[in-house]
Amino acid sequence: MKVTRRTFVKGSAAVGGTLVASRFLPSGFQTLLKTEAAPAAAPQEEWVPTTCWIGKQDCGILARRINGRVVKLEGHPGNPLNVGTLCPKGVAQIMAIYDPHRVRTPLIRTNAKGVSGQWRRASWDEALTLVAGKIKEVRAKDPKLLVWQKGRSKGKAFYDEAFVKASGATKLHHGAFCSDAGYRASEYTIGMSGVLHPDFRHVRYLLAWGWNITNAGGNQLCWITWPQQLSAARERGLKVVAIDPRLRGAGPFTDDWIPIRPGTDLAFALALCHRLIAQNTIDREYLRRYTNAPFLVQADGTFLRIDGKEQVWDEQRGVARPYDAVAVRPALEGTFTVSGAPVRPAFQAFKDHVSPYTPEWAAQVCGIPADAITRVARELGEEARIGSTTVIDGVTLPYRPVAIMAYHMAQQELGFQAVRAMLTVMMLLGAVGAVGGQRIDVGGWAIHENFEKLDRIKITDPPYNIYLKDSPYFPINSNNSSLVARVMLNPDKYGVQDRPEMLIVHMANPMVSFASQPDLIESYKKFPFVVVIDPWLSETADFFADVVLPAATIEKYEGPSKASDQYLDGVALRVPPMQPLFQSRGDIDIYLDLCEKAGLLYGRGGYLDHLNAALKLKAPHRLPLDRKPTVREIFDRWAKSEGIAEGVAYFEKHGVKVKGPIPAAKAYGYAADPPFGGVRHRFYGEALLRYQAEMRARGAAEIYWRDYTPFPTWRAPTMTASPAEYDLYLITYKMIEFKQSRSSFIPLLNELAPRQRLDINPRTARERGIADGEEVWVESHHALTGETRKVRVRAHYTQAIRPDTVGLPHHYGLWSHPGAKGQGPTANALLFTGEGYVANTADQSFHVKVRVFKA
Amino acid sequence: MARYAMVIDLDRCTGCRACMEACKVENNTPRANFWMYVFRFEEGEYPNTRVWFMPRPCMHCDNAPCVKVCPVGARYKRPDGLVATDFDRCIGCRYCEVACPYGVNYFNWKRPERNQYLDWTDAEAAAVLAPYTNGAVPPYKNPDLERAYGPERRRIAGGGHLKGVIEKCTFCVHRVERGLQPACVANCPLFALHFGDLDDPHSQVSQLLRRRSHFRLLEEASTEPRVYYLGGKPPGSDTRQIETIRARA
Repeated sequence: MKVTRRTFVKGSAAVGGTLVASRFLPSGFQTLLKTEAAPAAAPQEEWVPTTCWIGKQDCGILARRINGRVVKLEGHPGNPLNVGTLCPKGVAQIMAIYDPHRVRTPLIRTNAKGVSGQWRRASWDEALTLVAGKIKEVRAKDPKLLVWQKGRSKGKAFYDEAFVKASGATKLHHGAFCSDAGYRASEYTIGMSGVLHPDFRHVRYLLAWGWNITNAGGNQLCWITWPQQLSAARERGLKVVAIDPRLRGAGPFTDDWIPIRPGTDLAFALALCHRLIAQNTIDREYLRRYTNAPFLVQADGTFLRIDGKEQVWDEQRGVARPYDAVAVRPALEGTFTVSGAPVRPAFQAFKDHVSPYTPEWAAQVCGIPADAITRVARELGEEARIGSTTVIDGVTLPYRPVAIMAYHMAQQELGFQAVRAMLTVMMLLGAVGAVGGQRIDVGGWAIHENFEKLDRIKITDPPYNIYLKDSPYFPINSNNSSLVARVMLNPDKYGVQDRPEMLIVHMANPMVSFASQPDLIESYKKFPFVVVIDPWLSETADFFADVVLPAATIEKYEGPSKASDQYLDGVALRVPPMQPLFQSRGDIDIYLDLCEKAGLLYGRGGYLDHLNAALKLKAPHRLPLDRKPTVREIFDRWAKSEGIAEGVAYFEKHGVKVKGPIPAAKAYGYAADPPFGGVRHRFYGEALLRYQAEMRARGAAEIYWRDYTPFPTWRAPTMTASPAEYDLYLITYKMIEFKQSRSSFIPLLNELAPRQRLDINPRTARERGIADGEEVWVESHHALTGETRKVRVRAHYTQAIRPDTVGLPHHYGLWSHPGAKGQGPTANALLFTGEGYVANTADQSFHVKVRVFKA
Repeated sequence: MARYAMVIDLDRCTGCRACMEACKVENNTPRANFWMYVFRFEEGEYPNTRVWFMPRPCMHCDNAPCVKVCPVGARYKRPDGLVATDFDRCIGCRYCEVACPYGVNYFNWKRPERNQYLDWTDAEAAAVLAPYTNGAVPPYKNPDLERAYGPERRRIAGGGHLKGVIEKCTFCVHRVERGLQPACVANCPLFALHFGDLDDPHSQVSQLLRRRSHFRLLEEASTEPRVYYLGGKPPGSDTRQIETIRARA
């Protein structure tokens, strides 16, 4: 590109005497004219429909390709999730595709593990043969000693599921770091899998409860879909109350900020329940018909059952009758006597339970004025319009335009019960499944298998597996990989005999992205053989991989992914807009070859067989079990099996198949046939009490069973027992610029937020003599063990955070990519896991007490 | 002849900065050059804090100070309202940068090969990617930017990003002339940005400006910007910038 004045003059003459312009610069003369010869032919422009690779919801993309080179990724206008737009990550991922620091060939380690890796390049054949040989060896001993770990799957997790089933591996999840405490609470209580979001088209009053509106996703979907619906709702007059220690994420989209103290959401929700009952803004009809609130509870906390059937008190007849008896009029309140023993409806028991949880009490716990709680309860009660109906799709349905949006806030020590309490608020108002009210799953009203499973957990005798399934420690169990690390470091303590021999880490970076980094690092030393499948050399690979297999990014077939925004239903497929760069390969290609070499591909029970099942392929589109298909062929069969005659070609042309509006009967619980899928919502969690009794009987310590209570019950979080000098609460959050801990090295994004920072209220900072931008130490304290951990980071003044709280974003702390050097630490280096820092469901808490001082 | 304007709805902006990235990839702007910049603001003290966001492209002023000071006619106002920079003619004197009260001009201090996020003069990085990019710098290089636009046939779409040249937002002239919206407008996930013809009473921008109250930045400077803001108010003395991005490296 460096040219002389002479070539410039030539150039300018060639274009017909453009004004001469040049400048003298320290490095010499330069011209402005392009010196390459003009292309002979007009560039060939193509648009390839595909889906976003970087985010979680796989937004629709149109890739602009010039002469075969992708030059831009734009939003697919036809995809309901993003309607022609992309978030900053979606746009900037183009730089990640062309990153010269991707893993370009399979790598085999040449040095010892536990330190930065040294590698030799290997062929795919050599690397896969090595890995497959190891799989065979481990499976011959015991398949469950093969551990398989993935971060968030891109698209439907069918090919993951098939591998886990074909190999018999122990599967680890990522949800315990996301929002699984909320999923478990909703699955158990309502039967829907998800956390909480509103019917945005009709909601009028929204509690944005820890919802980081301007930076993070929200329930189930990624960032674009929810803010679009929020903005439209606000233009219709939606009022938003942000319940959050930090206002920044709510941005200008909030009318009322309630800066709650971290970890006290349960107390706030209980006080709302107290007020709703005191105000008598209760949807009694809903509670009677669709919940177990009228079921009679005995003194021991179990339901009164006669002939195996739960009983209610019939107000008209004045006797206990089966809850489903004809013309029964169940009482919600009162104390009654049946066969000489006192009983009361669960609702009455709840009323008694929440009577001490006054707004004044909660104000002390939550660090906010009592009138803020009273105000929200009053507004909820008014806005819920209990008793009103409206017509949707010709069906008359209850209209309760109040709801909660909550997602990642579920990951706190009391998260499971906090979300149950939030659901109870919505149950009291009758807003669950009503028009404008509370929704849980964007996919429509379908009862998840966990509604029954979580009610019938059979706690077993040891030994337990590495994530303590069916143990008396965490009977409801979200499979927390950080807790697995603790277990692996001390298996005998938990009655675990398995000593895993091999780990496959796919698209996950536990070293950095899971809480309690020191535990992770120690425990990974216990895996004798580690394989990492990733487009980049993750920190986990750098320290612990024996073999690294380079996966492609967007340049592969993957999916299918749901393209539903909760109103329009659709399905999309990732289509490669170019060939995989370097020697990287699509993930499914890798599994096909790996399974073939490991003897897991063919025949009954093999990978292909499980692919048929996981994709629900119907004859004649099922994959033959004796021939290795191409990935394109798999999707072609899937599309045809779904009734799309053109097969995969349809997606290669259109990218997304919009199926049409989701009908009211699928979207609203009340409109479903039978309503709410025929289940009674668990206002009272009888099984939770049953688990508590069994945990105690099996000798589990109180720390495990204390939150297994039938009603959400407040206690102070463990962290509050740290000494007074640890006077600040640490919260963590997401930034819109990055996805998880696998994007801060993308130069276009890194430029926007190059360094880790600690959000701190200027008042708090000044008390400690800390100036804006100054380096500080943040030291966390484990309230039970006394262990401390510290990191050094820059202070970032903000008036949008509680003075007793400091905030750290995730995303940082990478070291192996040159673009991530010097960005500062991960918040996970400060967090603890295990007892006191996980929920009763093994879900990870992202709260800890810290002190902050000048570095 | 159209009379183009941009209308920015502050009630919708989430400050996500996707417009900045759409601009960067579309226009291949070098590191630290932000033709579109989104301010993140904070006002007031805890707990009465207000957080809001404000995108800032070039204002494409009708009475543009930058045009007046350009000694070589590289910066000029087109009849359709776009304030253009002819990168063949710019001599890099930076008068426009001084004259502009909005700070939208960026001077290229570095050669593009060294300032397209990675050092593409690094032989290894270049060699690794060459089979896939044919040597394009950046790898997502947009060929549209090199061409001449308008009846005047001048190269004003910002191609090259050569050292010693001033550059700024072009309102994506290369897209607008093809009937497309500027990249930032087309991509905004909240549909907060609008672009269109003020002479067309039915255009969305005309309708929005009729229906809603609006302001322009530094009205008192008489620059007559073609960028209008809906909702909110201009930043004041109480407004603090947070999460600032280092620009003009």
